[in-house]
Amino acid sequence: MHGLAVLRWIEEVTGQRLQVEEGALYPALHRMEQRGWLDAEWGYTERNRKAKFYRLTTAGRRQLTAELLKWSRYTEAVGLVLAREGAAAR
Amino acid sequence: MSTGRSWRRVVRIPFSRRVLQNEVDTELQFHLEGRIEELVALGMSRQDATAEARWRFGDLDTHRREVRAIDEEMLRMQRRTDLADTLGRELKHALRSLARARSFTAMALATLALGIGAATAIFTILDAVVLRPLPYPHGDRLVALSSPVPGIKAAPVWGLARHEMFYFKRTSHTLEDLGIYRTEVTTLTGDDGAHQAERVPVAFVSGSLFGVLGIVPERGRLLNADDNIRAQDTVDVALLSHGIWERRFGSDPAIVGKRIDLEGFPVTVAGVLPRAAQLPDQKIDLWLPLDVNPASPARSNHVFSAIGRMRPGTSVEDAQRELTALTAQFSSVFPNVYTSRMMKVIGFTTRVKSLRDDVVGPLVTKALWILFGAVTVVLLIAAANVANLFLVRLESRRLEAAVRSAIGASRGDLAWHYLAESLALAAGAALGALAIAWAGLRLLILFAPSDLPRLDEVHLGWTSGAFTLASALAAAIALGLLPSLRPRIDLTTLREGGRGATSSRRRLAARNVLVVSQMALALVLLAAAGLLVRSLQNLRGVHPGFDATNVTTMSLALPNGRYRTPRLASNFFEQLSSRVRALPGVVSVGFGGALPLESSELCTGAVIDVPGPSGERGDCVQMMQVTPGYFETLRIPLRGHAPDWAENGLGGASAVVSGAFAERFWPNQDAIGRGVRCCNGTPPFYRIAGVTGPVRTHGLDRSPGQVVYFPMIPYAKNPGIEGLPIFMRMVVRTSTIQLGAIVPAIRRVVAEIDPQVPVTDVAPMEQILAKSLARRSFTMMLLATAAALALMLSAVGIYGVISYVVAQRRGEIGIRMALGARTGQVRGLVVRQSLAMAAVGVAIGLAGALVTTRVLGALLFGVSPADPFVLAGATMLLVILAALASYFPAQRASRVDPVEALRG
Repeated sequence: MHGLAVLRWIEEVTGQRLQVEEGALYPALHRMEQRGWLDAEWGYTERNRKAKFYRLTTAGRRQLTAELLKWSRYTEAVGLVLAREGAAAR
Repeated sequence: MSTGRSWRRVVRIPFSRRVLQNEVDTELQFHLEGRIEELVALGMSRQDATAEARWRFGDLDTHRREVRAIDEEMLRMQRRTDLADTLGRELKHALRSLARARSFTAMALATLALGIGAATAIFTILDAVVLRPLPYPHGDRLVALSSPVPGIKAAPVWGLARHEMFYFKRTSHTLEDLGIYRTEVTTLTGDDGAHQAERVPVAFVSGSLFGVLGIVPERGRLLNADDNIRAQDTVDVALLSHGIWERRFGSDPAIVGKRIDLEGFPVTVAGVLPRAAQLPDQKIDLWLPLDVNPASPARSNHVFSAIGRMRPGTSVEDAQRELTALTAQFSSVFPNVYTSRMMKVIGFTTRVKSLRDDVVGPLVTKALWILFGAVTVVLLIAAANVANLFLVRLESRRLEAAVRSAIGASRGDLAWHYLAESLALAAGAALGALAIAWAGLRLLILFAPSDLPRLDEVHLGWTSGAFTLASALAAAIALGLLPSLRPRIDLTTLREGGRGATSSRRRLAARNVLVVSQMALALVLLAAAGLLVRSLQNLRGVHPGFDATNVTTMSLALPNGRYRTPRLASNFFEQLSSRVRALPGVVSVGFGGALPLESSELCTGAVIDVPGPSGERGDCVQMMQVTPGYFETLRIPLRGHAPDWAENGLGGASAVVSGAFAERFWPNQDAIGRGVRCCNGTPPFYRIAGVTGPVRTHGLDRSPGQVVYFPMIPYAKNPGIEGLPIFMRMVVRTSTIQLGAIVPAIRRVVAEIDPQVPVTDVAPMEQILAKSLARRSFTMMLLATAAALALMLSAVGIYGVISYVVAQRRGEIGIRMALGARTGQVRGLVVRQSLAMAAVGVAIGLAGALVTTRVLGALLFGVSPADPFVLAGATMLLVILAALASYFPAQRASRVDPVEALRG
């Protein structure tokens, strides 16, 4: 997937609810490549344009799992706090 | 951290910053254009779409910069891991191929380790003794002050006088502080219990010396200016060294304030110094206040050692310039002491020297640099041998190299391969070298003359390790790049089946050059070693002027407090003399202020009874007191007579002078019957009763000393002429040398007469004779070892090359033999080639030796740096060695079977 495709995917999945500054994606992609979470390769799109494609590596997948776990714990905790707050406010 | 299966490694495109930047631009451009097209497709105008895409993207420059920075970092990391990979791979490869070539590896390792190890050992000594500052805080700012007096005598220099210290302290801007001291040996009185009377080295110091040397007390306080002023009346305080505090006072924590007995005088301990606090050139056990009072009038008493501390940023030259200028004003500042005429006549100046150079001395510095030069030469010869081994190995691997390059290895790849091999070898050699240096240093320290300065500071440290590493690395790089120097690998090698003839000739020339330079270097070392051997032989041949066989020497010190007059001291020595002579096996016994070869450089002005230019005050000669028996025991030839005990007891006015003294003042006349008196004495004169033969008082390499031997009890009308004879050397001649039996007997006798007199410095006179040559023989031994190593390595080198030549010329030799050459002729052919190389090496070496042996200078004695015998001897040795080294290959050549050689 190239950078633009990543953005389009995000738009599609979130129904354009998550607006990001598009340029900020690229440092993130390169950083992840440096850490070995992504592999990058030059290739051609269906419309025969030269683009840089990224693919998740095994290390990247492992990282993703870890981050997901962390995120879900976090949201869970926040949810608990908010639920208690909400109860108190009512 | 590693990117694992990064696409770069798979694709292997050569990367540069520029390529990276273009890639980033392409990627971002692709994004923007994709967006714009998308927006246009949604019905926006191209212009609006561009603006919208840009807006959504955010600040293009910032993002681009950030991405580029990340990519560059990635590239750097990539390069580093690539390099490490290459190195690791090549090293593994190198280790494997070294392990296969076992004899090559062993030989190269041993040679290189030996060369680097020897160089490291000598470098360590050079570094500790000559290069490193003295072990004081800011030791590089310490200077020694003294006064040369060329108008009186060339060699010895005067010390500083008290008033000079105060004057320089007051006026100098280059010196921060200045201290003076003098050293002596005194006696700690024994007590009834555990402690015997003991001789201890003491220093009388000005309080300022501690500040100069940066010494702080471990316990109690230091000495100060008040102590110095009080010391004019009596010395009543002392500092203990850490050593004596531990040893004699059992590390008594309450020692400060206690009293100790010094030659019968009570002295209060003011403090204890830390272990490291010592004078630069000797170990001191007791520190006492010197009697200095700024209010005292100036007087010419230039006897104190002086150490100054320069201000930061001041050079020795700056200080020298300033003190020269200050000294030039002495005749107006101290008119009572110096007149401008006298300063001019004796050439009085103040000399400033770096304290380190002063302590180490020019001869030791020179000898160590020369030795370092010698081991460097050995290292070069060793490296040349290893280079030769490399070239042989290279020759045998031409096929391998050709194959590698045929399947696509670049020159760089091959260079890496060779470099890895030499690096692995050098690393092993460095380890071996450290072991050799460690063992060598222990051996050197064991055999080193004990008076070599700073010997206790010598140990294998970081600088030695750095030196080893640097040498090994330099060798590795030189050896590793050797193969890259030759022309590009010829792929025709493959076709020829590995028997190329053209390039091997060029390489043979390189090897000949290596061997010839080895021979030349070895000759230089051999010549230098030979010159030192000759010098030592010459010195051994010098007649010392006395007979050392069967003579035992020791020192006796009489406590000042108990022997207050010369007569009391003389009585002691007379009694001891008669009782020792009664011991079985003793032939004769005598006492004197100094032993031959060991006289100090101090001299005093003598006055003789004739008017004339030489009769003035200031003529510098050595003076000492002797008892009857001194000349007889040492078998110093004597014309006339020396006073006996009876005459001595009466306070007779007879003295003995040395032949050199008589010759100086009464050339071609008889000195006996003339008169001489000492510095401050008043007439009448001592009558000269005897003249000795030439005695080497200051060393075998110095001319016989000019000495006046006074009796112990001064002439009755001339009291107090030289002070008290409190420290005397004793000489005992026995019928056979029986040190074991005679020394305890003498100790017993001394203890019976006075248990407070310690007997020390027991040594056979022959040992003192040997010790006077110790430094020279040490230097000679080391240089000879270096020369022997050089010779051995050169022999191996020449053997290697000749063997190789024989192998190369097998075919030719076969043809010669087939045509009727006899074995002797073939042998001659080979040996001649070796001798031809030796001849060139010798010719270059002789020229080199003529230039370089001159640096030996003062290390030589009685032999010219271009001594023809030494040079001829060295040449012969080298030629014989070259012949021998080629003999075995020649033997092999003569056994070549023509049929086989021609077929192969």
